[in-house]
Amino acid sequence: MEERPRAVLLKFPGTNCDEETARALEVVGFSTEIVPISALTTEALDGVKLVMLSGGFSYGDYVMSGRLARLVTEQKIDGALKEFRDNGGYLLGICNGFQILTQLGLLPEGSLVENTSGRFQCQWVKMKKQADCPFLTLLPDEFELPMAHAEGRLVTMTAEDAEKYRENGAAAVTYNEDVNGSFEHIAGLQDETGRVFGMMPHPERFLYREDHYDPDWENPAGSDEEKWGSGYYLFRSLYESVTSSN
Amino acid sequence: MSDSESILDQIAEAPADHYRVLKISDLDGGKLLELSQFMHLSLSEEDMLAVQEIYKDWDREPTDVELEVIAQTWSEHCKHRIFGADIDHEVNGEKEKVKSLFKTYIYDVSQRIFDSKPGFVLSAFHDNAGFIKLDDNLAVCLKAETHNHPSAIEPYAGANTGIGGVVRDILGAGKGAKPIASLDVFCFGAPDTTMDNIKAEDVLHPLGIMRGVVRGVRDYGNRMGIPTVSGAIQFDNSYIYNPLVYCGTAGLIPIKYIDKEVGAGMKVIAVGGRTGRDGLHGATFSSAALDTESHESDQQAVQIGNPIEEKKAADFVLAARDADLIEFITDCGAGGYSSAAGEMLEECGGTINLDNVTLKEPGMVSWEIFISESQERMVLAVKEGSLEELQKLADLYETELIILGDADGSGILKVTHHGETVCQLDCSKLHTAPTRHLNAKWELKTESVDAPAIDKGGEDLKSLLSDFSIVSREPIIREYDHEVQGNTILKPLAGASGDAPQDASVMRVDGSEHLMSMSVSILPEWGKTDPYAMGTACVDECIRQMVASGADPDRLAILDNFCMGNPDAEEELGALVETVKGIAAAAESYGAPFVSGKDSFYNYFETDEGPVSIPVTILISGMGIVEDASHVTGSSLRCRDSLIVVIGSTESELGGSVYARQKGLTNATVPGTDMDAAMGLYRKYYECVKQGLILSAHDVSEGGLAVTLAEAAFSGKAGLEIDLSSLPTGEDVSVAAMLFGESPSRLVVEIALENLEKVAEIFEGQPFAPLGRAAGEHSNLKVTRGDDVLIDEPLDELKSLWKNGLAQYY
Repeated sequence: MEERPRAVLLKFPGTNCDEETARALEVVGFSTEIVPISALTTEALDGVKLVMLSGGFSYGDYVMSGRLARLVTEQKIDGALKEFRDNGGYLLGICNGFQILTQLGLLPEGSLVENTSGRFQCQWVKMKKQADCPFLTLLPDEFELPMAHAEGRLVTMTAEDAEKYRENGAAAVTYNEDVNGSFEHIAGLQDETGRVFGMMPHPERFLYREDHYDPDWENPAGSDEEKWGSGYYLFRSLYESVTSSN
Repeated sequence: MSDSESILDQIAEAPADHYRVLKISDLDGGKLLELSQFMHLSLSEEDMLAVQEIYKDWDREPTDVELEVIAQTWSEHCKHRIFGADIDHEVNGEKEKVKSLFKTYIYDVSQRIFDSKPGFVLSAFHDNAGFIKLDDNLAVCLKAETHNHPSAIEPYAGANTGIGGVVRDILGAGKGAKPIASLDVFCFGAPDTTMDNIKAEDVLHPLGIMRGVVRGVRDYGNRMGIPTVSGAIQFDNSYIYNPLVYCGTAGLIPIKYIDKEVGAGMKVIAVGGRTGRDGLHGATFSSAALDTESHESDQQAVQIGNPIEEKKAADFVLAARDADLIEFITDCGAGGYSSAAGEMLEECGGTINLDNVTLKEPGMVSWEIFISESQERMVLAVKEGSLEELQKLADLYETELIILGDADGSGILKVTHHGETVCQLDCSKLHTAPTRHLNAKWELKTESVDAPAIDKGGEDLKSLLSDFSIVSREPIIREYDHEVQGNTILKPLAGASGDAPQDASVMRVDGSEHLMSMSVSILPEWGKTDPYAMGTACVDECIRQMVASGADPDRLAILDNFCMGNPDAEEELGALVETVKGIAAAAESYGAPFVSGKDSFYNYFETDEGPVSIPVTILISGMGIVEDASHVTGSSLRCRDSLIVVIGSTESELGGSVYARQKGLTNATVPGTDMDAAMGLYRKYYECVKQGLILSAHDVSEGGLAVTLAEAAFSGKAGLEIDLSSLPTGEDVSVAAMLFGESPSRLVVEIALENLEKVAEIFEGQPFAPLGRAAGEHSNLKVTRGDDVLIDEPLDELKSLWKNGLAQYY
């Protein structure tokens, strides 16, 4: 039997997209274990290729989103995630996971703050790839995903920092229009290694074609790929990057 | 000093001990009632006399804990005594006797349907929620609750705990079901209500209530990770003082985990939140009317929600269920531990030790601990040998587990605290409340009226599309995460631009080939003049929406959730009886059983100008099985040059419609529902679905055919060319009724041109007609009748009116 690359999905109290995210990872070829944070040890990362941080409201996100998750993670395994990255591991954060990766300092500096609308926004958004990124290779230049968040506005210390992210490829993916007030319309960030990526929209919610709101949505990849939605290609890109870097 | 004064004085003082014995044996009825009111028990004089009798038989006096337990158990909220009452009913002069509305019209009707569809309903009425079979291994359930009184007083926390409570119902259904989707239905006063129309102090403006309620649902549902996929809002001035907040949740369970039983020797444990003074007397509070004083004095009856606490408990429960560690589980809702433990131990009996309860604050006396409705608590019965594994899971998911006591087979509910027995009740006595006797009366209030002539159909349509009953709910829908869990295939907003309306929602189900459809129907305006017709039409609409979405018309189940004002007012109770008769007749005709239900009374308010009651309001919500993903059918127009057909007959009655309201025809006759004919149509429609002949289908409801056509076309794919000349109708149907009447059982369906013959053959002999086509050459809604152009309006203008109607207020 083929050896599937192992993924660990960290589950905090309030994490709530764990099951569908694990399903997406399994579908593209990972072997995935959901690990509650209370059981997390440094050893749990041994032999693991991907650490996944899924969506939800870790600890309720009543203080700044991702803040408490960061503190607890550091308390449990200190710098082990940085070491994991340095040793070639991949980290993916979606929505609350993106907020947590940002808090942990694993992504270029920035904060995810309240949307300019002041509201929770559950809607589909059109997005553009802006740089080479191992998480996005199989996606077309433009694609669509659902988002659902109240604090997804990416802000940086100065407006110039965000411009710099656009120039140096850290801002791997942007919204086509201003949906939440993010600087430079940034939807997702990658780090310098390209192995850490965080994004607000939810690829796991568009795994299958039938997940699209329009029953007549056409997959740009053509009819052979009839079954899949755009989110599939993100996870599949990640799978191929992980398996080819072995 | 009289006996009762001495008792009241005694109670008014701070308790010297954690419990006390109350001498009630010598009190007369009046004094007993005073005691009940003083203790906020909400028990009537008759009830108190019955309690006195029980204790005379036992030859002792009750403790305060016992009185509180009896009050909780007998409260309308927990016992539904009006639905079990003997009612002398008079309708249009004819007298009849109803022995228990529940037994006659809900339970017996459903039982007959269960018998006719063996193996479909797997559990109903006795558990937290009713289950229907999804496939050989899995079952789905649905439960809806109201949280009206708390939401009137503190909208955010009221709605917050409303959704929290119904989610716990699902977690406590069977040996623990997984919540997979939620629905929310609200009734508010109109957003543009002026302050001088609010005739009482301290009543919150409808906008404040709406914003608070929506945010409360949002902040709980989104954090719990349950998609809110279905809902409705009604705006009517009769809801200014008593807003209605219905919260519903659907669950999924492996069939093997549905049956549960408590046995002697099991441990009773609780998990989740701690117990505090928040939420004292919620059950009894919601069994009484509101007045201005309620806004001050009943604050402590509204609890504070903590969704993360509940999420942790939910993760624990589902993991424990999958490890087969749960023998019995129920939620802590109204009545707190007293009703959870009461339900669990009513047959088996057992002991609960209050010393083991972890508290939010010190100094709580026995009754406070036992009836507190603090949120986020679940009560389980487990084998003693499972405790170690359960504690490990509690540690893993960071939730608190306490051992409350033991089940012992004695049949006696015993509660101990500080080494003393503070309550010792024969459970079988607890559940026998005196039967109430009530009078009801109803006279039909409608009359036939002449339909207005249509000279500016376009203006009428615009006015309807801007009406609060019809405008887009998008600003609210987007605040709810309706896609978490990644299974919402048919979403509340759809169409090519993702913002057109959708009737039923459809969820994919992990581990099954089949899917689940959910929908709701609420038509309070109809019930003001013809509650029976409201009942039949609500069941029809709920079922029609699920069928339109692709559900099998023979595998549907429904819930009945009633709200009304004062049941002691004959006419209000009469409207309730007629509504119940209506939904029962429809359920039986459609073969769609009730599997769960709930009722909320005393939704009336003492204003400066006298009492204001809500109209009798029935919410019918439903779940249905969609056999295959290829059957899923949306409400939005999909193609150019497709054919638009209408199924079902348009009748002349305008009553109940939004159009009639706008034209001031509030007494116009309300259309009836030909249920057998409708079911025939739905089965034929399903035949078309199975053969892949349907592109889209939208139910004709509020606003009538014209609004339905416009909404379908809001997908932005094409314009519409419609000719009403061949519209199937009854006799003497006016143009107004054709365009804007709301007769039930109709669908607007889009099919491909080449399939017309096949579809027409299936509908042979039925009210069915092609009306026109999706136009590629323009983007107007054009409706004609022969040479008469009735409506010709650009769809983008219509859509903008519809889309912005609520946005400006929210």
